[in-house]
Amino acid sequence: MKCELYEELFTGWINKELSAEEKGALEQHISGCDSCRNELQALQQLWGHMGQIETPEPSANMSVKFYAMLDTYKESVKEQRSLWADIKYHISRIWEWQPRWPMAYNLAMVVILVGSGYLFFGKNKSDDQDKQLKALSSQVHELKQTMMLALLENPSASERIRGVSYTSEIKHADKQVIDALLATLNNDPNVNVRLSTLDALTHLAGHAEVREGLIKSIVEQDSPLMQLAIADVMLKLQEKRSVGSFRELLKQKDLDHGVRDKIKQTITQLI
Amino acid sequence: MLKVKAGDLDRMGMLFERYNRQLYGFLFHMTYQRELSEDMVQQVFYKMLKYRHTFTGTGEYIHWMYSIARNVLKDHWRKNKQQVQHEGVEAAETIAGGLVPDEAFEKKQAKAELHRAMEKLSESQREILALSRFQELKCQEIAEILGMTEGTVKVRIHRAMQELKSIYVKMER
Ligand SMILES: [Zn+2]
Repeated sequence: MKCELYEELFTGWINKELSAEEKGALEQHISGCDSCRNELQALQQLWGHMGQIETPEPSANMSVKFYAMLDTYKESVKEQRSLWADIKYHISRIWEWQPRWPMAYNLAMVVILVGSGYLFFGKNKSDDQDKQLKALSSQVHELKQTMMLALLENPSASERIRGVSYTSEIKHADKQVIDALLATLNNDPNVNVRLSTLDALTHLAGHAEVREGLIKSIVEQDSPLMQLAIADVMLKLQEKRSVGSFRELLKQKDLDHGVRDKIKQTITQLI
Repeated sequence: MLKVKAGDLDRMGMLFERYNRQLYGFLFHMTYQRELSEDMVQQVFYKMLKYRHTFTGTGEYIHWMYSIARNVLKDHWRKNKQQVQHEGVEAAETIAGGLVPDEAFEKKQAKAELHRAMEKLSESQREILALSRFQELKCQEIAEILGMTEGTVKVRIHRAMQELKSIYVKMER
């Protein structure tokens, strides 16, 4: 065997990591190889001498510095934690606002979601991402609708008007929205709300239910302002089926004179 | 093994108590400068503290400590290209012949001579000897720290020893 093959065993010999088997193999080699025997002896002696080189002890200062550093580090972590706690507190406060502005909050959340959705997917849309966006925009739609319905229940007339105005943003008003608007048109105590609702419903006149609702509403209205406004809407829509309702209205004895004239005029124009 | 990962900063104190002397010894044999070695121990523990979340816990904690210490050393050498400066070792008298006999080695001069010979080794040779001789780590552990096979570690230790012997013998002439 060549001497170089024993290099690994030399190291194991001097640091006493050899197995009995390896030790035997090396012993066998050095018994017949003078140069390896001398080399091994010299290295072992050197190894022994190295062991006598003292390693100094660190000064007490090192420990003092370490613990000062550890304390500073702990403090900085504590600060970070309290900052995080602060952020969490503010987040929890946002949730507390929810009961006060439920719809506005939800809407804001969805707007953020959709907005980030567009930012995120905007550049490279896939079908899947498109579906996600559609799902999101349908959520927005739903929320607007919910918001509108909730606003119609608001005690403040201006809030109810605001609710009604949302219908212009609802592309496809469903039965729920139409029913709510018609109920507002007939029952809302505030004439301005009813006028706004009439305006909103006029925009939805493409729906058969809306037209029918408007016609039925003619006899429900007791305010001259509303009666005049409905007459205008029917003229505008050229709704001939409203004539019957107008004739019903004319039967009311306490009907305003100005309204009476206007209704008669409308009937003639529609026939 | 000991874990500092879970934000348990007090554990770091325990680890310091357990390993600071060993780490200092390694850094001392790599630099032969006491104050610098102490500063480096501080740097190593700071890095372990700061990056404790990157310790995966798969290997031994001590191997992670050595790998950070090696990076601190590399940084130091990159910034300070000059040779290692040895402190407080007096020039030894020349001793004729091969290796000094054991009795002679007991003398301060002979020790200083070997010390100086070690300084003349390459950084990687000094490193592997520092780990095996002064840190008394097994070849298997050194292999893990240095990312080598155990066989390579054994061969490199042998070569470093041969080189040290050759420098030492030359110095004596
Ligand atoms: Zn041989």
